[in-house]
Amino acid sequence: MTRARRPSPQTVAVLGALTEDPGRWRYGYDLCAELGIQAGSMYPILMRLADRGLLETCWEAEQAPGKPPRHLYRLTGTGRAYAASAVATAPSASPARTAAARPQLEGA
Amino acid sequence: MPVLVMLGVLTAAGLLLVRGGQADGDLPARIVAAATAWLPARQRDWGHAMAAELAQVHGRAGRWRFAAGALRVALFPPSGRGRRVLAVALAGLLTSAAVTAATAAEIPDLAVSAAVLGLLLGGYATVRASRPHPPCRTVPGVMVAAVALAAVAAAIVSVARIAVAHPAAAADNTHVFAVLFAVALAGYLAVALSSSRGHAGAAQRQAERQAQRLAQRLAQRLAQRLAQRLALWWALAAALASGAIWTIIDLTTPLEPVGITGYLWPVGAAAVLAASVGAAATGSAGAGARAGLLTAVLSAPMHFAADLTALMQAGHYALTSPYDVAAFPHSGYPDVASYLLSDAMAGDVLVGLVVYPVVLFAVALFGASFVRGRSSSVTSMLR
Repeated sequence: MTRARRPSPQTVAVLGALTEDPGRWRYGYDLCAELGIQAGSMYPILMRLADRGLLETCWEAEQAPGKPPRHLYRLTGTGRAYAASAVATAPSASPARTAAARPQLEGA
Repeated sequence: MPVLVMLGVLTAAGLLLVRGGQADGDLPARIVAAATAWLPARQRDWGHAMAAELAQVHGRAGRWRFAAGALRVALFPPSGRGRRVLAVALAGLLTSAAVTAATAAEIPDLAVSAAVLGLLLGGYATVRASRPHPPCRTVPGVMVAAVALAAVAAAIVSVARIAVAHPAAAADNTHVFAVLFAVALAGYLAVALSSSRGHAGAAQRQAERQAQRLAQRLAQRLAQRLAQRLALWWALAAALASGAIWTIIDLTTPLEPVGITGYLWPVGAAAVLAASVGAAATGSAGAGARAGLLTAVLSAPMHFAADLTALMQAGHYALTSPYDVAAFPHSGYPDVASYLLSDAMAGDVLVGLVVYPVVLFAVALFGASFVRGRSSSVTSMLR
């Protein structure tokens, strides 16, 4: 039996950002910049979400000249349901940094 | 002359590395590339994703922050093993504290070394425990791990013997040599134990095969694994041969102070060169560099232990150099044996465990690049 763990405030913030426009593919660094989360925290979150089948990933088909193709992320169907539930039940007291970096989450 | 040779080798190796760095981007990019290579195979794509994102990050501070994050992910990739990691970390701390306390009670002069070595090895074990799907061990891998452990244990025992017989020789008020000794041995063990692991077990290999859709990539990975095993065999053979010859010479020739000249003895360099050239010729440039590095890592503590053991075998210690004759009365050491052994130990730690392996690794890079260097950069060798 697996115990359901409450997602961390940072994970909730990532889920919230991905839920805003669920069909849109997002870049990892853009999520870092938008949420004020460092890469060292962001990528483990994305990796865990992908491992649990909540996040789908793909490589960019068209890349900028001279630059490697980028990895893209968006929520799966299951991920959207999970995100809606996680954002709705998240404690209102989010970490100051995340809340400040992304005020629109407050209204979600 | 030996010093000039050593400086020349190190300068050339530095130039090679700098050239490799220029070809592959700035330092944050190289850190992310190295971190990517260190991720478990099934998470390697995430490393490539981070490397691709770094290309979009502008500004030195931002790039360094991003590289630090990538390094953190590579060291502690998410594995869902938080409790296990915590347990290993706690066990490491407790073991380290117990070993330090026991050493402080029995051989106080080695307590600092014991504490540093215990903490570093505990940290290494914690990092290993945090990695998902620990890679399997192969036959040469087990042998390399066993030789590395035996060589490090021999080095510790040789120092402990001197510290027990001549406590003044092991006294180190600055703790510089004690820390250097522990850091070097922990580093050797980490390199040897990491290199001795294969990248995957049979089941994981099967899963990887299914996941790999491109036959070319699969073939490349199989070739890499084969090259990795070959590198282990080459390193093992070269290190054992070098260690055996070094020990025989040490124990059968009249005792002489070991200096840089002694450590630049051609057998050590020849063994590393043979391993790197052999592994590069039968595998790849990367395999050659790894084989050379591993040969240096395995043979350095062997040579260290052999030298100190030979010194301990000498029943009579005499001052032969005019400098020592003049310096000894003012040195504060209670006897000539302590004075000479202390000097020899400090020299062995600094030159034998720190400088000598760096020179040998430079030799290994040359050996590997001599065979395959024209087709791959030094940076790619290290991946």
